[in-house]
Amino acid sequence: MNTQEVIALAVFLGVYAFIITEKIHRTVAAMVGASVVLLVGIVPWEKVPEYLDLGTILLLAGMMVVVNVARESGLFEYIAIKTAKLSKGNPMKVLLLFSVVTALVSAFLDNVTTVLLLTPMLLYITKKMNVNPVPFLLSEIFASNIGGTATLIGDPPNIMIGSAAKLSFNEFLLNMGPIALADLFITVAIVYLAYRSAIRINSSRRAEIEMLIVEMDENDAIRDRELFKKSLVTILAIVVGFFFHDQLGLEPAVIALTGASALLLWSGASPEEALEKVEWATLFFFGGLFLIVGALVETGFIDLLAQRIVSLIHSEAQAIFVISWFSAISSAVVDNIPLTATMIPLIKAMGSSMNTYPLWWALSLGACLGGNGTAIGASANVVVIGIAHREGVRITFGEFLKVGAVIMFSTVAVGSLMLWVRYGL
Amino acid sequence: MVNFSELILRKFRNIAGSRYEEIMKAYQEFFLTEEELQIPTINSILFAIDRFSGKIPDEVFDVVSAYPGAKVEVVYLIDSVLCGLIRETLGEDEARKFREKEEALGREILKKIESTLSELGMNFTMAIIFDDKVEFIENETESRDLLVISRHFGSESVKTHKVSPVVFRIVQGIKKPVIVY
Repeated sequence: MNTQEVIALAVFLGVYAFIITEKIHRTVAAMVGASVVLLVGIVPWEKVPEYLDLGTILLLAGMMVVVNVARESGLFEYIAIKTAKLSKGNPMKVLLLFSVVTALVSAFLDNVTTVLLLTPMLLYITKKMNVNPVPFLLSEIFASNIGGTATLIGDPPNIMIGSAAKLSFNEFLLNMGPIALADLFITVAIVYLAYRSAIRINSSRRAEIEMLIVEMDENDAIRDRELFKKSLVTILAIVVGFFFHDQLGLEPAVIALTGASALLLWSGASPEEALEKVEWATLFFFGGLFLIVGALVETGFIDLLAQRIVSLIHSEAQAIFVISWFSAISSAVVDNIPLTATMIPLIKAMGSSMNTYPLWWALSLGACLGGNGTAIGASANVVVIGIAHREGVRITFGEFLKVGAVIMFSTVAVGSLMLWVRYGL
Repeated sequence: MVNFSELILRKFRNIAGSRYEEIMKAYQEFFLTEEELQIPTINSILFAIDRFSGKIPDEVFDVVSAYPGAKVEVVYLIDSVLCGLIRETLGEDEARKFREKEEALGREILKKIESTLSELGMNFTMAIIFDDKVEFIENETESRDLLVISRHFGSESVKTHKVSPVVFRIVQGIKKPVIVY
C-alpha cells in the first residue's frame, strides 16, 4: 500500500471510530477527515463536486425546510393528538396505531423529526395508562426504521442509494414498500408477544384514560391555521411530485427544493428562521463522509475490495443475502449513513461483473433495518431512548438488544427472502 | 467497558440538539400535570361582581351550572375605601349619593343574574356588600370552594389593562380555584 492509500484508510477508520464512540461530534469527525483527504490531495479539488452527492444533500435540505416550516403550524402535534384520541385509551390500539402512524410519517418525513414529535405524546399516554412504556417506545423505534425503508425519502440511506443508482420513488415503493409492510406487522406481533402481560390495564382505568384523552382537542394544537393548511397542501404536492418525478424527468431533490421554495413563498414564512433550523450539521456530516469515501475510491481501495467480494460471490442471489446481512449487522453497530456511503461505490464497482439492480434493494434493506438491532444502530433509537431517559424511563442497551436483535433478524430474513424470490430465483 | 448510557445520551444531544426542548414547550399546554388532573369538589361558589364587571357571558353560567348541588352566593361589591375618599374630599352628601347610585346599579345587575340562575335551577343567595373589595373576597373565599370573577373587576372605567390589577392580586393571594371570565 502506498502512503496515500494508508492515509485514506486511516482517515476512514479513524472517522468511523469517532462516529461510533461519538467522543467528538460526528460532523466534526467527518469534516476533519474530509479536510485531511483534501489537504493531502487524495481527492483532487476538481473532483470534489463529483463526490459531493448534491442529489442527496439538496433533497435533505429541501425536506428539512418543509418540515421546519410545517412544524410551526402545529401539524405534527395535531397528528400525535389525533392518533392518541383514536386509540381511546386501549393499550393494544395505542401500540398498533402509534406504530402504524410512525411508520407512515417516517416513510415521507425524516425519522428523527417523526419520533421527536410523537414520543412525548406516547410517553404521556402510557404514563396515564400506568403501563410500562418500554414496549410502546420500542415499537415506535422499530416502526420508524421500518417505515423509512419503504420510500426513497424515508431514510437517509435510501436517499443516498436513490441518488447514486438513479432509482425512482416508485421503484422504491414497489420494491421496498411490500417488505416494509410485512416487517411492520411482524414487528408489532413480536413486541406484543414479548410484552403482552405488561400492556394490559383494567376496564375502569381504560375508561378514565379515554375521558382524559377525549378532553384533548387536536384543533388546539394548530398554532397557525393558514400555515397548517398550506403545509399540508405542500407536503401532499411534494409526495405527488415524488410519484411522478421519473415521468417528469426531474430529480427528487428538485421536487423537494421546489416544494420548499413554494411553501416559503406561499406562507410568507421568514426564510432566515426556516433556514436557521435546517440541520446544517447533518448536511456537513454527509458532505464530509462523501469525501472520505471518495478518498477510498480515488486510491483504488474500493475497486480492490469489490473484486475480492465478486470473486467470492457466484450469483446475484448470493450477493443479495451477503449485502443485506452484512449491511444489517454492520449498521447495527455503525451509523447507517457512513455504512451506506461506503457500500454505494462498492456496489457500483461490482457492476462491471454482475447486475447490481437487486443489490441496491439489499443494501437499502440491510442499512435501514439493521438499525433496529442495537440501541445505537439508528438515530431514531438514540432519540427515543434519550427522550425516555429525560422523562425517567430507562431503556438499557441490553434490554434493547434482546428485542432489537430478534426484530432485526426476523425483518431482514423476511426482507431478503422476498428479494430473493423476486430477483434471485 | 463501554458505557452505553453515556454514549446514547451523547448521541442524543448531538442529534436532537435543542429541538426536543422546543417540542416539549409546544406540548406543555396539552399535557395536564398531576395537580391539574385532581378535580376539586365544589359545594359553594362565591360570584363576585361590581360596576366594572360588565356583561356576564352565557359560558360562565354554563360552567356554574355544572355544579348543581353547589350553593352560589352572588355579591355585588361597593368599594368602602372609595366611598371613604369621596366623603373626605367631597363631603358626606356626595358619599351618600355615590353609595345610593351603586346600590341601585347593584340591584339592577343582581336582578338579571337572579333570573338566569333561577332558570338553571341553582341554589343561590344575593347580597350587596359595602366593604374593601379585595379584603372581602380574600376573607370570604377561605370558606368557599370556588370564586367566579370578571377580569375587569375593580378596574378603572377606561379599562387600561386586559386583566385588572385587583383581579391579579386576588388570584395570586387566594388558594381556592378561580374562574376569571
